[in-house]
Amino acid sequence: MFDFLVQGFGVALTPLNLGLAFLGAVLGTLFGALPGIGPINGIAILMPLAYTLGLPAESALILLAGIYTGAEYGGRMSSILLNVPGDAGAVMSTLDGHPLAKKGLAGPALGISAVSSFVGATIAIIGLTLFAPLLAEVAVMFGPAEFFALMVFAFASMAVMMGKDPVKTAIGAVLGVLIGTVGVDSSTGVLRYTFGLAELYDGIDFVVMIIGLFAISEILLMLEHASRKNGEDGVPRLGRVFVTLKEVLSCKGAMGRSGLIGFIIGVLPGTGASVAGAVSYTTEKRLSDKHGTFGQGDMRGLAAPEAANNAAAAGSFVPMLTLGIPGSGTTAVLLGALMLYNIAPGPTMFVDHPEVTGGLIASLYIGNLMLLALNLPLAGVFARVLTIPRWVLVPGIAILSFVGVYQLHSDLTAIYLMLIIGVFGYLLRKLGFSLAPVILGYVLGGLMEQNLRRALSISGGEIEVLWRSGISLGLWIAAAALLIVPWLLPKLFKARLGRA
Amino acid sequence: MTFHKGQVADRIMGMVLIGLAAFVAVQALRLNVPFSYDPVGPRAFPLGLALLLSMLALVLVVRPGESGEWPHRAMALRLLAVLAILLVYALFFTRLGFVVTTLLAVVALARLFAAAWAKALVTGVTMALGSYFLFTRGLGISLPVGEWLGALL
Repeated sequence: MFDFLVQGFGVALTPLNLGLAFLGAVLGTLFGALPGIGPINGIAILMPLAYTLGLPAESALILLAGIYTGAEYGGRMSSILLNVPGDAGAVMSTLDGHPLAKKGLAGPALGISAVSSFVGATIAIIGLTLFAPLLAEVAVMFGPAEFFALMVFAFASMAVMMGKDPVKTAIGAVLGVLIGTVGVDSSTGVLRYTFGLAELYDGIDFVVMIIGLFAISEILLMLEHASRKNGEDGVPRLGRVFVTLKEVLSCKGAMGRSGLIGFIIGVLPGTGASVAGAVSYTTEKRLSDKHGTFGQGDMRGLAAPEAANNAAAAGSFVPMLTLGIPGSGTTAVLLGALMLYNIAPGPTMFVDHPEVTGGLIASLYIGNLMLLALNLPLAGVFARVLTIPRWVLVPGIAILSFVGVYQLHSDLTAIYLMLIIGVFGYLLRKLGFSLAPVILGYVLGGLMEQNLRRALSISGGEIEVLWRSGISLGLWIAAAALLIVPWLLPKLFKARLGRA
Repeated sequence: MTFHKGQVADRIMGMVLIGLAAFVAVQALRLNVPFSYDPVGPRAFPLGLALLLSMLALVLVVRPGESGEWPHRAMALRLLAVLAILLVYALFFTRLGFVVTTLLAVVALARLFAAAWAKALVTGVTMALGSYFLFTRGLGISLPVGEWLGALL
């Protein structure tokens, strides 16, 4: 049953892949530490370069996944030291992390968060190893109809779980799917939404899309936040940079529980680290905050979200590797990267490309150990990243974006398109839309349409085929339940209260 | 009924989206579809999306949520300045070449992000030359040398 893991370690332990895992861990921690640049931005900026290097698919994925998991470690730095979350997953880490730093315990806070990140990620990677092959076996039975139903379920889950406003999440996803329809229709050869521009015949390039959406819009937002605090005025003193065993043991319950919560939330399609952090923090507060110390600098209040956001990152690989459905915005980007290598995401990936899936899972084990080894003693070194001024950071992002997009086709149209998408992304973010659903819609939309049309072609246009099998019917019901239950529950409660 | 600024923005966005949905639908209907064995065809999916989008946008118009704070005029001008720098960077990227345009863009961006002239110039020179050698020598990416400069030499 674990052949894939043995084979995977064979792949991950080659010198090239070990080196890339290490590089990913370092870069990821750095990107995570920089305020505003999270895993998605980091991967968006570096993906074209990884592609240019001509790395094989599994090596590129190992590098990018290293950045993803590393960023979840690094996100805590600015949360703890500056009270500014380094990325969305680290928002909850500010609540107890920054008070600890104010008490002069910044060093131990960084230490405990590194240990909890490690524990959370380990729990989730073991979960991934156990569940992925099981899910992959079910997934092989999926036909186009089941796959279509699965995507409907994924979108429903995303609308309910991601972001504060389900309507805006749904709109974002629809916009993403619409952007994905630009270009030549593969089954009829009809051109859609190309407006006669030859550059659009192949659709909007994935790299152009993510760099515009994440990197360019971030540059604009950074300007607005320029007055907001960053580390240029110096970071607080770290104090001792190690944790005692006693401190670690006092958090073991919080880490274990939050690791599990994070893993489960990560597995659900469309929900990622930020939800996991919030749920685990509130759960832990309810369970163990006996003396009202949460929010005042309680180590457990820091350990919980840190364990959870790392566990969610690893957990979101489960649906990505077995079903081809990304569990988070970042895994959507990773999935898009695989498509650049002509690896069709989907239920057969686990069977057809064991070197990619197994190699990735094995490298997560290795990368996690590297991250702990890097982040415990070197916290002080990474913390200095916070002192990089914005006037260095922003031009750097601009250069990487321009080169990344230009080297695709040595073509300026792609750069103009990237700028337009950047403005679009900025406006969406200002309007309170989150960008993850947009990218999920963009990645999944094309597959969704293909599967719908394939299913209906096979059935000769009979629409019942979409819910005829047990699996697809179950998925439709689950999707409907997800959409209706959160809306219905409060009304039921109200009705009962009214009667009592 | 009182309006918050954010709600107005959401209402406008909702109407723009309804317009977009109509545009998507009209364009889909105009598609000239040759005979095919595919019973769905290329129209149905965009049409379905347009319908879904218009319904969601209607919800946004009727029940707008809160959105973030919009930049004031001074900030809006600086945002436009950043966009202008990026656009000029793109316009001259192949004509003046990577090193010259990058140098100019980095200095301009650094100045906008409140760096002193000396710091901005040093950053510009280091980043332009450093990244050029990193990308071309280190990563084997070919970058534009500059058509205009090539003509001069």
